[in-house]
Amino acid sequence: MDFDWSDDNRRYRARVRHFLEQELPAEWPEIARHGPGSKEQTEFSLDFCPKLAEAGFLVPHWPEALGGANGTAWEHLILGEEMWAVGEPRGGQYMNVNWIGPTLMRYGSEAQKDRYLPPMAAGKAIWCQGFSEPNAGSDLASLRTRAERDGDHYVINGTKIWTSYASLAETCFLLVRTGPLSAGKSAIAILLVPMDTPGIEVRAIPSLVGHGDIHEVFFTDVRVPVSTRLGEEGQAWEIINYSLTNERVGIPRYAMSSRVLGHIVADLKRQDRFNDGVVRMRAGEAAAACEAARLLVYRLVDMRARGQTPGPDASLARVATVAADNAVLDFALDFLPEFTTGNVYPEYLAHHERAIVAGIASGATEIQLNLIAQRHLELPRGPR
Amino acid sequence: MYFEPNEDMTALLSGLEQIALGEGTEWEPSGDWSRQVWSHTLDRTLDENGYYDAGAEESLGAIAAAAMIWRLSRLSVNIEAAASAMLRPALGEDLPRPIAVMTDRRGGAVRFLPMAKAVLRIDDDGVHAALLSDGDVRELPTINAYPMGEIVNDALEWRRLDADAGRIRDLWRIAVAAELAGAMRGGLDAVIAHVKDREQFGRPLGAFQGVQHRLAMASARLEPTYWLTLKAAQELDSADAAIALGYTASISTQIVYDLHQFMGAMGLTLEHPLHRWTYRLRHLRSELGGASTNLQLAADRLWRNA
Ligand SMILES: Cc1cc2nc3c(=O)[nH]c(=O)nc-3n(C[C@H](O)[C@H](O)[C@H](O)COP(=O)(O)OP(=O)(O)OC[C@H]3O[C@@H](n4cnc5c(N)ncnc54)[C@H](O)[C@@H]3O)c2cc1C
Repeated sequence: MDFDWSDDNRRYRARVRHFLEQELPAEWPEIARHGPGSKEQTEFSLDFCPKLAEAGFLVPHWPEALGGANGTAWEHLILGEEMWAVGEPRGGQYMNVNWIGPTLMRYGSEAQKDRYLPPMAAGKAIWCQGFSEPNAGSDLASLRTRAERDGDHYVINGTKIWTSYASLAETCFLLVRTGPLSAGKSAIAILLVPMDTPGIEVRAIPSLVGHGDIHEVFFTDVRVPVSTRLGEEGQAWEIINYSLTNERVGIPRYAMSSRVLGHIVADLKRQDRFNDGVVRMRAGEAAAACEAARLLVYRLVDMRARGQTPGPDASLARVATVAADNAVLDFALDFLPEFTTGNVYPEYLAHHERAIVAGIASGATEIQLNLIAQRHLELPRGPR
Repeated sequence: MYFEPNEDMTALLSGLEQIALGEGTEWEPSGDWSRQVWSHTLDRTLDENGYYDAGAEESLGAIAAAAMIWRLSRLSVNIEAAASAMLRPALGEDLPRPIAVMTDRRGGAVRFLPMAKAVLRIDDDGVHAALLSDGDVRELPTINAYPMGEIVNDALEWRRLDADAGRIRDLWRIAVAAELAGAMRGGLDAVIAHVKDREQFGRPLGAFQGVQHRLAMASARLEPTYWLTLKAAQELDSADAAIALGYTASISTQIVYDLHQFMGAMGLTLEHPLHRWTYRLRHLRSELGGASTNLQLAADRLWRNA
C-alpha cells in the first residue's frame, strides 16, 4: 500500500491549481456564493469551461479522438477535487464531463456522438437531467412521463421536477415511460430532448438553494424524432446505472468541505476563538469526517484505476461524503454563526448551500443506507 | 411534584391556543418569496390582549412566559415574543416592543433589529437598554428566517437597567430554549404530516422503519425539552437554565438534518414551510454560545462551584 501521491500526480495537481489561481476572476467568490447549481454559476461556466477546454483541463479523461488525453482515473479525481475545492467553476457542466459524455460514448448513435460530444468537450454545452417527477423521487422507477410512438416520432406528455439547470439547458437527458406503469423499470427509455422543442415549459421553483437552481419542466405534446432515443426502449435502467456509477465517483465534495473547514479555523484563530477545547475538538471531528470521506472515495478510484467496478463501496463513500459536508456545516453554524448574515463569507454560504442538499439531491442518503444494508451487510430485504 | 399548570396558566394557554389557531398564523408563502414573514395580526392581538405582560403576574411568571414562547415558536410565522414575554416583565420596564437582544460573543448582526423599537444588551457590564429610531439600524441580507440587522448609530443612548445580569441571562437562556423547542416541534409536526401523506414505493414514507425510528428518536429527544424549559423557568436556577438550553441546542443539529431528509426536495422549496422552522433553528442553536458553552456551564454550576 502507498497512500502518497506519485510525482506525476503531484505535478498534475500543481498545474490545475496554478491554472485556477490564474484564471478565476476576482468576483468568483461572489458568483460561487450561490452554489454550483445556481444560474450565476451555470452562466459563468459558459465562459470558464472553454478556457478549461483550451488548457486541456475539461475532458482529459476522455479518449484523444474526442478531445481528451486518455488521462488516468487519478488525474480525473485530482481535477475534480481541485474544482470542488474552489466551489466547482464548471457549474452544471461537471455532469457532461463526468457522466453524460461517457454515457453517450458508450450507448450513443454516431449521429448523437457527433452532435453532442464536440460542444461538451469545448465547454459550451448545458444539459439538464430530467429524472425526478412529482410522484417519482426516491422511487424513480415509478415515473410516469409518457412517450407515445407516432410513426418515427415520440410524443411526450408529463412533468419533471427539481430539474437543475433547466432554464439554461439546451438539451435534456430525459427519462420517459414507453410502456405501462406496471412494467416498471423495463418500460423506460432515455430521450435526448432539445429544450427549445415546442411544448416544453420551464418554471423555476423558489427555493433555499441557489438562484434559479431547481425547476419544474412541463411537457405537453412534445414531438421529437425517434432518433433522439439513447439506446433501446427498456434499456434506460442499465444505462443510468452505468451513468450514476460514474456520477457518484465524480463528486469529491469533501475537497470543498475540508478547504472551507481550514478557512473557518483560520477565521476562528484570528478572532481568538480557537483556544476553547470544545471548539478544537469539533474542528478535529469535522476534519476526521472529511478525511474519512476522502479515503473512501480514493478507494473507489483505486478500484476503477485497476479496472474493477465498485459495488456497495460507492454507497459507503456517498454516505461518508454527506457526513463530511454536514460535519463542517455544523461546526460553522455552532462556532461561526455570523456567516449566515451579510456578505462577508461567500465561500461559507456556498458550502452551506451544498451541504443542505447533499443528502437529498442525486438520491437520498436513506436510499444509500438501504443499499448498504442489502448489498454490503447482505441483510434480508425488507419492504423498500 | 405536580405537572399540571395552575388555573391562571391553563386559562392563559387556552386563550393563546385560540389565537395561535386564528388569524395571521397559517402558513402562506410570502409574495416576494422572502424567507421570513412577520405576522402583524398575531403580534397585535397578543399585545392588545396583554399576553406579553403575563409574565409579570404573580400567578403566571416566567413559567407561563416559557410555555407561551414555546407555543408561539411552533407557528411558521415570525413574531418577536421571547424578549417581550420573558425579559420585559422581569425588568419591570415598559420598553417599547419589538425588542432585540444582544448578548456577548455574537457578531454584529442581531435578529429582529430591523423592526425593533428597543434593544437590550446583556453582558459582563450588566443589562443596558436603548430606544431605536429610524437610521439607528441597518438591515442585513441573511439566509436566516429572522430579519437581521446591525446597529449603525455609534451614539446610541444606552441606559443601564437596575437588573441582575446573571438572572436576566438565565431567563434569556430559558426563553431561547423554549423557542428552539417550539420550532423543532413545529418542524417535526410538519414532517410527520408529510411522511403520512407522501407515498413512494407504494406506501407512505412513514411506513418505512428507517424513517419511523429516526422520527421516533427525534420525538423522544424532543419531549424533555418542554419540561426542562418549564422546570428551569419555575425554579429559576442557573444550572437548570443551562441544561435546558444546552440540551435543546444539542439535539437540534440532528433533528434539523432529519427533518430535511424526510421532507426530500420539497423541504428545500419556499413553497413549503419547513424552512420557516429550520432556518430559525439554524440561528437559535448558537445563541448564547450554543450547546457546548451551555453544557459546560451546566457542569460548572453542578460541580465546579459547588
Ligand atoms: C438541489 C437539488 C437538485 C436536484 N436536481 C435534480 C435534477 O437535476 N434532476 C432530477 O431528476 N432530480 C433532481 N433532484 C431531485 C432528487 O433526485 C430527489 O430529490 C431525490 O431523488 C429524492 O426524491 P424526493 O425529493 O421526491 O424525496 P422522496 O422520495 O419523497 O423521499 C423523501 C425522503 O424520504 C426518505 N425515504 C424515501 N424512501 C425511503 C425508503 N425506501 N427507506 C427509507 N427512507 C426513505 C428519504 O429520507 C428521503 O429523503 C434534485 C434535488 C435537489 C434537492
